[in-house]
Order: sequence, then C-alpha cells, then structure tokens
Amino acid sequence: MAHYKILGQDPYWMNFFGLMLLTVIEVAAVGLDLSTLMTLTILTVIAIPKFIMIAAIFMHLYGDDDSGILTMTALFPAFFIIIMVLFVGLTHPDATTGLPDWCRPGNYGL
Amino acid sequence: MSHDDHSHPSPWGPHDWGHGAPHNSWGPLVMSMGIAIFLFSLASVYEWGEFMGWGYVPVSLLGLSIVLTGLVAIWRQDMSFDGSYEPKATGAPFRRIDIRKVALWVFLMSEMMVFTSLFSTYMRYRFGIESCEDVFLSGNWVEGTSVNCFEPASHLIASSWFHLAPGAINTFALIISSFTIVQALRYAKMNDIDDDLRRRKVTRYLGTTWFLAILFLTMKMIEWFLGFPLPGFLAEFNHGHDTIQSLYSEGYLINAESYQHHDYDTHYLAEHGHGVDHDSALYAMMQEGTHPGGHMMANIQVSASTFYVTTGTHGAHVFGGIIGLTYMTLKAAKGGYNPNNAVSIEYFGLYWHFVDLVWVLVFPFFYLY
Repeated sequence: MAHYKILGQDPYWMNFFGLMLLTVIEVAAVGLDLSTLMTLTILTVIAIPKFIMIAAIFMHLYGDDDSGILTMTALFPAFFIIIMVLFVGLTHPDATTGLPDWCRPGNYGL
Repeated sequence: MSHDDHSHPSPWGPHDWGHGAPHNSWGPLVMSMGIAIFLFSLASVYEWGEFMGWGYVPVSLLGLSIVLTGLVAIWRQDMSFDGSYEPKATGAPFRRIDIRKVALWVFLMSEMMVFTSLFSTYMRYRFGIESCEDVFLSGNWVEGTSVNCFEPASHLIASSWFHLAPGAINTFALIISSFTIVQALRYAKMNDIDDDLRRRKVTRYLGTTWFLAILFLTMKMIEWFLGFPLPGFLAEFNHGHDTIQSLYSEGYLINAESYQHHDYDTHYLAEHGHGVDHDSALYAMMQEGTHPGGHMMANIQVSASTFYVTTGTHGAHVFGGIIGLTYMTLKAAKGGYNPNNAVSIEYFGLYWHFVDLVWVLVFPFFYLY
C-alpha cells in the first residue's frame, strides 16, 4: 500500500483522476481531426505518462520497500523489446534505401 | 499420520495452511494441460473464419472441463487461506519478498513479451504494407480486382464518436476497475474497522471490478458483432445512418479478400459532395481519362488479423480476470479477506493493472490511430 501522498492527497484517488483526465484528452485529440502525425504524437505523449502512472502507483513500483528490485524485474524485458522493435525497423521494405547512410551496410559514414 | 498427511488431508483441499505451504497443488499443471488441449482443438474448429464441423468440438469441451477441474481444485485449496503462511524468497535479489509476488512479476514479464510480439507484428505490417487510402489515391487499382493493402480498424472505429463509443467506454471502465481493485485492497488491509464492514467494502469493490470487466467484454461484443441502433435525432451526426454497424457487418474480417468501404468509392464520394482529393494521382488520372474510377476492393486479411488477434488476446486476459474475480468476490462475500491475507488481492491486482496497462497502448494505436 502507498505510504505517501500526491499534492497532499490520497495517491490512488489522484492517480485515478489523472488517468481519467488524460484519457479524455486522448479521445478528444482524435475527435479534433488533426493531422496523422500530430494525432500520433499526442497519443504517444499521453500513453507514456498513463503507462507510468499505472505501473508506479497502482502496481506499487514506486514507494514500497521492494519497488526498486521489482521495477528492475519489470524493465528486464525492455532489452528484448528494443531488439524486437529494432528488427521491425531493419526489415522494413524501405530499410535498404530509406535509412540514413551511416546505418546502411558498407556505408558507415566513414 | 505423517506431517504431510496432517497438512493436506485431501488433494482437493481445503488446505490446512497453519501447517505450511501446499507444495502438492496439482491444479496449475492440470489447468495448463487443459488450456493446451482447448487451444489446439479450437484452432481446428475454425479455418479462416469458417466452421469446420463438429469433429473437434468435443475435444475442446474436454479441454475446458479439465481447466475447470484444475480451477476448482485451486479454489478449494485457497478458500481456507487466511494469511497464516506466506513464504518468502531467500535468494538474491528477491530476498525477503513474498515468493508469490516474485512469481507474479516473472509471469508478467512473460506476458510483456507476448504482447510485444503482437505489437511488433502490428508495427511491421502497418508500416510495411501500403495503406488502402494511399493505394486508392495513387490510382494503382482497377474496379473488380482486389488489391493488397493495410486497412487499420481505426478507419472504421474512429470515423464517428458513436463508433468510438464502445472502445472509449472500455478505456474508462478499465481505469475505474483498476481504481476499485486498489480500493478493495485498501479496505482488506484496514485493521481499524470491524470485520463486517470490511467484508461489505471488499465485496462491493471486487464486485464492481467484476461488473466493469463484464461491461468491457459486452462492449467488445457490441463493437465486433452486434452494433447498436441510434435514436433518429442522432442519425445526422452519423452520416445519416440510424444504426452503428459492428465490425463484422462492415465486413472487417480476417478472411476479407474483397473488402469495400465507401471512402474508396469515387461514385459515392462524388454523390456526397466530397469528391476525390484534388492533389491525388487518382484525381489527375480521372481528369485525364486514364482511370475510370469506381469502387476499390481490398484484401485486408493481414490488417484485420493483427487487430483481432491483439485485441482478442487482450480480451482473453480480461476473461481470465473475470474468472479470478468471480472467485475472489465470492470469497470476500464469505468474509474470506483480512489484513493478513489481503496481499492475495494485491497480487491479483497486479495482473489486472497489467491488463489495463496493455489497453493503454492498444486503445490509441489500434482504435484511434
């Protein structure tokens, strides 16, 4: 259980209100009919704090005695996730021509 | 009578937790086998969305009944758990942390990899296959011949507030349910309230979480299969239609070889005053008379599969949560939770928050973008 407060208030209630607010902004951003790039940027920017708020406060990865080691445990798959995303990029049909010079085989900017 | 006999009078439970941990619970092993049988046989029941006959249905039901047997065993063994025995890890780096908690986090790590695989598959295809809108505007198609392209489900779902409603309601439902489960944990851990008040509060919050999980799957069913009618005065906000069609009735299916959408129909666009984008190659070709226009057909099997597999896997996790919540709500109603064993709610909560966490990513990237 949380042994701290956020702005002097109960952390679960504050987290709940924060998540609701971010979700309203998220849905509204799509309704505003912005450009694809702008919409994707807003969605990504909002998804990151939502992800952290749930993990840190609701899943107790912040503020408990064992939060540190459990956070490290939770982040362990991040290494594999990065590799997976990297290969998604490298196997893109445009990878051989669309990537910058420095990361194409035989042309490392040297 | 040996010590072991004394601790575990029946393999079906209930356990005598005061004598130590039940090392011999066979429930998880049996459940794993049941799930394997169920999934393997279920995969043979349908092929490309077509029912392949009743041959494998009995095997699927057998798998389900094995799962149920394992579940009942676990529940019978856990029902008597009062927190009197909570084994701690002894080795680094998890020393003095509850073994159950460590195990759950390791399980969640494997779950992260499952969903990462699904997300990376989606990304690979989303960015690797030309979108149907781009293909349509490029003019590289002829009416009557299907083209391969990526059609994100969000094209249908985010086309109006009403189509988006089930997904948006589900997002709020999961966030609220994450909150209600920590409230259940909070009251279960309280030392300074009487047992009856604790029982009522914990039951109420777990029951609310259960209800929200049911709501989630109901909305999912509406979105996928059922759709819903709109009152007449709202039709004008839905392109003049008085019903919100399901993805199924829109033809957004894993076996859709010749999917059609009115946004890819030059005649429809002209009739409704939109017309084809004047900056597009298709418009130029139509002006030159080198493209007759018409209704583009698309093979969207890849895009529909990534959508249904990812959101369906998430839905299956919600369903698993409902099963767990059903048991926990019943145990709470019997006054089964107290400050000593409240961590059981916390550990289930970790799973449930993870399901919420995945939805935080699924919703924007599969429903909105």
